[in-house]
This record gives sequence, structure tokens and C-alpha cells, in this order.
Amino acid sequence: MKKLILITLASLGPAVAGAQQTGATPPPGRLLASNCFQCHGTDGRGDGTFERLAGKSASDIYNDLREMKAENKRGEIMTIHALGYTDAQLRAIADYFSKQPR
Amino acid sequence: MTLHRRQFLSRLAAYCAAAGIPAFALADDDHEHEHDEDRRREPDSTTSQPALPETGLTGRVVVVGGGMAGAAVAKFLRLWGGTGVQVTLVEREPRYTSNILSNLVLTNSVQMSDLAFDYARLASAYGIAVIRGEATAADPVAKKLTVATASGPQVLDYDRLVVAPGIDFAYPEGLQTPEAQALVPHAWKAGPQTTLLRDQIRAMPIGGTFVMTVPPTPYRCPPGPYERACVVADWVKRNKPGSKVIVLDANAAITAERESFTRAFEVTHGGVIDYVPNAPVTFVDTAAKTIHTPMGPFRGDVLNVIPTNVGPRLLADIGVANAARGFAGVDVLSYESTAVAGIHVIGDASATTQPKAGHIGNQEGKVCADAILRLLGGGTPDPSPVTNSSCYSPITWETASWLTAVFAYDPATRTMKVVPGATGEALAATKDHFEDMFVWFRTLMGDTFA
Repeated sequence: MKKLILITLASLGPAVAGAQQTGATPPPGRLLASNCFQCHGTDGRGDGTFERLAGKSASDIYNDLREMKAENKRGEIMTIHALGYTDAQLRAIADYFSKQPR
Repeated sequence: MTLHRRQFLSRLAAYCAAAGIPAFALADDDHEHEHDEDRRREPDSTTSQPALPETGLTGRVVVVGGGMAGAAVAKFLRLWGGTGVQVTLVEREPRYTSNILSNLVLTNSVQMSDLAFDYARLASAYGIAVIRGEATAADPVAKKLTVATASGPQVLDYDRLVVAPGIDFAYPEGLQTPEAQALVPHAWKAGPQTTLLRDQIRAMPIGGTFVMTVPPTPYRCPPGPYERACVVADWVKRNKPGSKVIVLDANAAITAERESFTRAFEVTHGGVIDYVPNAPVTFVDTAAKTIHTPMGPFRGDVLNVIPTNVGPRLLADIGVANAARGFAGVDVLSYESTAVAGIHVIGDASATTQPKAGHIGNQEGKVCADAILRLLGGGTPDPSPVTNSSCYSPITWETASWLTAVFAYDPATRTMKVVPGATGEALAATKDHFEDMFVWFRTLMGDTFA
């Protein structure tokens, strides 16, 4: 199942990246990912912020978020944030940051 | 304490230089320099300019209010909408003074100048037209906004109007004149009221009593009043031994971070803080320095009344004050007013199920910007927005706790609801959280103003 999802994403990836951005259809994941900007910098960039997310691999970000969610550790701020999103939303967020220049 | 302040300032300076944040007065200096223009930092010219996209979108958006929500919506309309979307920001002050961290001004850990952010970078990097003035009237049919400026009235045409005027106060009996308000500050809009309260606390006698009030919900920054009680209690323990802090809460119980603040009131600051729930202010006797409540009268050497929060008059003037206490009802998919088409209300002025606070106000600005851009492009707003509220609260001069919640749109009630499990608070107030609080503050301000 996991493999299938990865294959599907891989085949979608270039199409999404190559799509012309039009005003009415913003890049997928952007609005969700903007929830992270307050602490990780606009588009995941900035010095002296919490972890820089821009340009990180999508699978690393996604796997980290999934892990935080699965741990469900009380009193961990990132666990609480990860629990706020469905896995599909986490994947969209990870994908968005991976496409931002470092 | 001095060491910590130096650390904070050097980190703040380094970060602001890197991010090009137009912060002020970054030197370690305890003198008053609120309006000292010499200390003004120009945005760093080496900071990379954001590349504004060519989206093909066109439109004119006027934003009223340059606080956390208003500045964010203006920035993201340009960052996401590109050069064809003209954005004008109307703000009556030359710069924003952060309410976040302003309780630390009361204890001299932070100066007012550390909290000032101007609009230079929004103008230079994002091409936002900044007009200093006060919105006075809107014509929602002709789509025109009238602004009073130093050089006379200006009329601005808009396709979409966003208003983010924050909150105003309904003063209790006894506090309705400017003279009374100068004796008993609210210090709930960071500025001269904050330094006034700081100076009063500084002049308080040893063994004195500080009496403060918590307004009825909803009010700006739910943990803020309890945080204030903590940092003042912590300060008087070291500087005014034997003093007391009395917290008169209009609500039936602590309204935010209940575990953290209960622990702080009973343990960390036990014997100093006296917490009195169900004590709304009925009358303030400034001559007798006494606050009257149904739980009895409370006399203090220093009084701090945070009045009931209400929607600013502008909301009624433009016809959007259709919720309780004069706040604005909105559709949380776009923050468009439920009373007047084409006018959006974000931040503390809107009536939603979300807290009134700067971090989530910034996010409301982003949701609103995204929705307006989709609408300008002939589309519809994102049907499933998510927002988050996060906040660090100092508990002592070197420890802090935090609170966070993630909200998702619920189509059944058309409101933002906390995602099950996605809310919580710090297990303990720690030094690490205190350090993280400044990282959060700097990054949040950078995301909003730079």
C-alpha cells in the first residue's frame, strides 16, 4: 500500500511542479503549510527560526511529522501540531516545503 | 537578568539583521527611547527580495489596520497574488507595537523599543502602499473607503476591503474619563499605557498590593492576564518583598492554560498571588484606589483594570458589527463579513470560535489572502482551511510555558473547531521554553512584517 502511494506521488510530482500557477488555483499545500511559517519562517526559510524546512526532502518532513503524530507524546508541541492534520494534509505540507528554494 | 537581556537582544539583533526585520533599538540600554528615531534600523539591504509571482491576477485590495492580522494579509496578498494585485495598507500609527511580550516590559526584562516594528519592509520588498491615516467611512456599493490623513481626506477604491482594527474597551463606571484612565491603566494595548503601569509598579511600596482584573471572555490574548499576574508576582518577590498580587477574574475560572496557571498561582507564586474568580468589576474608585466587585471591594497600591473588550467603532460605522459586543460576524472560509459583501474582517475584531491573539491573527490573514486571491481569479475559497494558535507565556523571569491548538473548518456548523487531540499546554514552565519564546516571537514578527 505504502509503495503504491509513493509510486502515485512520483508520477504526480513532475506534473504538479510543472503546472502553471494561476491565481484561482494556488500551489497545493501552500495554505496548509503557511500554518508552519510563524515558527519556521515564511516558506520555511529564515535564520534563527526553529528548524528550516525549505528544500528538505518531502519524505523526510512527512516521515518526521508522521512519527510525531504516532508518538502522541503529551506536552510535545510538535506532536500536537502533527495531530491537527490528516496524513494527506501532512503530505501536502511536506511536498510544499520540499519545493521551496533553500 | 542583565545577562539574559543581553542574550535576548543580541539574538534579536542578529535575527533582525538576517531577516531584514525593521526592528528598533537593539542596544542593551535601559533608558527610555520609545520615540528615538536615531535608533531606528533600516532594513538590511543585503536581505533577499522576495520574487513576486506573475499570476495574471488583478485587483485592488485595501487593508485597514497594520497589526498582526492586517500586516500579514497585506504581505501574503502580494507574495501570493503578485504584482497585479494592488495592496494599500491604512494605519494610523507609524509603527506597530507588539502586545506579545509586552508583559515583560512591566518587569523591565524587555523595553518598548524591542516591540516596535515598522512598515518599511512591507513597502519596499512587497510593494505595498502604506497610508498613514484613519479609516472613517466605507461605501460598500461604490466600493470606496474614506481615510482621514494629515493632508486631508482621501478616497480609496477597492475590489475587496479587509479590516483588522483590533479591539476597543468598554470602561466600567469610574474609569470613563481620560483622567481616570491615566490613574488606572489597562496596559492591554502596548504603548504609553504599558510604561505607565510599569512605572506605577516600580514605585509601589514594599509590601504593597497590586490588584488587576481579567475581563469577561472573549478578550484579546486569553493567557495574557494570568501571565501578567505571574511576571508581576515574580518581580515583586525579588524587588518588593511582602507584596501581594490580587487577580479579580470576571470569569468563573482561569480561561486558558488552566493547569499551568493553577500551578503557577498555587505553587510557583503561592502566597503572593490571590486569585478571585467570579469577580467582574462593577465600579472603580480611583480616589480610594479600590475596585468593587460582587466578591467585595479590593484596595490596592497599584490598580490595573483590563476592561471588557468590544469591537472598535469602525466596525459599526461600516455596518459589519453584527455579533455580540460589536464584533464582526464572518464566514471563516474567507473572513468576509456576514453583513456586508466585499468587506472582510480578520484578527481580534472578528467574532469566531478562535481565540483573539496575534499568532492566529497572522494565520487568519493568510486564509483571508488566499480566499481573496481565489475570488479575484473567479474561483471559490479553499473549502477546508486549517489555522493554529500558539503562544508562549512567561511564568517567571527565566521560565515560560506554552499553549497551542489546531483548528479545522467544520462544514456542519460552518465554524473552525479544534481538531480532536490537537490542543495542549506545556507540562511545566521551563528555561528552554523561555528561550523558545524569543525564537517564536522573532520568527512570528518576521513572518508578519518582513
